[in-house]
Amino acid sequence: MTEETSAPAETPEQRDARFERDALPFLDTLYPAALRMTRNPADAEDLVQETFVKAYAAFHQFTEGTNLKAWLYRILTNTFINTYRKKQRQPQQNSSDQIEDWQLYAAEQHTSSGLRSAEIEALDHLPDSDVKAALQELPEDFRLAGYVADVEGFAYKEIAEIMGTPIGTVMSRLHRGRRGLQRLLADYAKERGFVRAGAGEDQS
Amino acid sequence: MSCGNPHEMECSEMLQKVFVFLDSECDETSRARIVQHLDECGPCLQMFGIEREVKALIHRKCGGDPAPSGLRDRIRLRLRTVRIEDGYLEQTTVVQDTVRWDLEA
Repeated sequence: MTEETSAPAETPEQRDARFERDALPFLDTLYPAALRMTRNPADAEDLVQETFVKAYAAFHQFTEGTNLKAWLYRILTNTFINTYRKKQRQPQQNSSDQIEDWQLYAAEQHTSSGLRSAEIEALDHLPDSDVKAALQELPEDFRLAGYVADVEGFAYKEIAEIMGTPIGTVMSRLHRGRRGLQRLLADYAKERGFVRAGAGEDQS
Repeated sequence: MSCGNPHEMECSEMLQKVFVFLDSECDETSRARIVQHLDECGPCLQMFGIEREVKALIHRKCGGDPAPSGLRDRIRLRLRTVRIEDGYLEQTTVVQDTVRWDLEA
């Protein structure tokens, strides 16, 4: 006669060991993400700590074998949006203003971004700090979507779960975010003299 | 907007779908149509190349900041504190996740 019950319940000690083994190594993944979100190291550290505390408290709800990284990202994102962002006393960016600005430039052209093929190489010479700064200038939702898509390579479905939005919203944020980012990158490249001023406006 | 040549897929549609293609999120039918369009249309191919390079640039340059030394240990310490509070709360049967988190905050 077989027992109906599944595997024996995990002891708290076993769960702690599993958290230490499986979850904690994601610190190196979550910290840079937190840094892009909060834009400063002290806040990023607080955010990551808070994320791990919440993850630890909820770890019994995590189904082993599912995507732990995405699960942690979801907690990180929620923590940032629900608690952390409120503490940040910096003026809230108004996404919609900036979207409208970008949409003006996103005219139906082959090169709507202000970048041309020849200028792409120049971007590679930009210091990492410029590229990070450009990403950080994006409105928050676009920045988050761009980070998890391009740095982490999450699929749209995962990003939708992480951000708690429909997939269509993810796609729209990525689309707009990338268009904006290209313009910002072009500006940085021009400021550094890697690209001559006015480039991108005279394309054939 | 057009490169002047006739295509089965319009350039404007390509422009709309470029990111779905770039992110490997489109279905097989769309994918085949996009590949065909890129074969035929120089300007769109160029535009796609730019999008792909920028995505790669973000991937290379925007992650990887090392966590501060000692942060891992500070987190471990924090978790130990949570465990102790957990035990305390369970003994006194005042348990709610939100309560625990509020205490932490």
